[in-house]
Amino acid sequence: MSGVDCAQALTNLGDYLKQELTPELMAEVRRHLERCRDCFKHAQFEESFLTMLETRAGRETCPAKLRARILALLRAEVEDH
Amino acid sequence: MAEPSAAGRSFDEEALPHLDALYRVALRLTGDASQAEDLVQDTMLKAYRSWRQYRPGSNAKGWLLTILRNTFINDYRRRKHEPVAMDLEAVEPHALHRSIEEVDPEGSFFAQIVDAKVLEAIDALPDEFREVLVLSDVEGMRYAEIAETLQIPVGTVKSRLFRARRQLQAQLYAHAVEMGYIQPRESPR
Repeated sequence: MSGVDCAQALTNLGDYLKQELTPELMAEVRRHLERCRDCFKHAQFEESFLTMLETRAGRETCPAKLRARILALLRAEVEDH
Repeated sequence: MAEPSAAGRSFDEEALPHLDALYRVALRLTGDASQAEDLVQDTMLKAYRSWRQYRPGSNAKGWLLTILRNTFINDYRRRKHEPVAMDLEAVEPHALHRSIEEVDPEGSFFAQIVDAKVLEAIDALPDEFREVLVLSDVEGMRYAEIAETLQIPVGTVKSRLFRARRQLQAQLYAHAVEMGYIQPRESPR
């Protein structure tokens, strides 16, 4: 099999899903995943993990009181000038 | 009330939309809600005062996070508890997936873990791992932006991320087993 082997594909999986590999390596990993069922399963697992992180850990928002306090401080800065 | 200046307007438009992200990163860095609030406030004031150094239309989020991180390092005490360091060198890279391949190959157990536990597991990562993981996998920054923000090579971002993800997966997996979300086929004796 030309291109990347299983070990290389697995090592690059996270970066592949984040689209952070060179175009050549992106294509090689994609080709490998199309052919290799085991690595494809790994990729699904890794994708579940990354999706979970993005959605579940990114939900907290800046408290309204803090936002209001910051806006008031910024307005006070403007008036100082 | 005075008309806001052009600088004030562009600051409002470019910086304020990132308040939520700044707050989340501040929470993960300080591990404490009231410190996180102070850190975000300090960051926004500093950013406003040095707004002239910002190139309009460039990466405002990265610029703000750089200020936030520098402020944290210079003015805030590190979190009290030392994170649990796992001996990752001893763990074979893809052993985790292999061990649950038969029972949950797609990692659907991840979806069952409650938000609070996910955050707790992130907070338990060593500082340098937590930082890259939050910026990349939670806040969606590109590796190059993270490298610039943290002043480290892109290769270092990659290797820290690789290890951070594995450590977090191992921790969440242990939690999922404990909670019975997943039943490993052969339990170690």
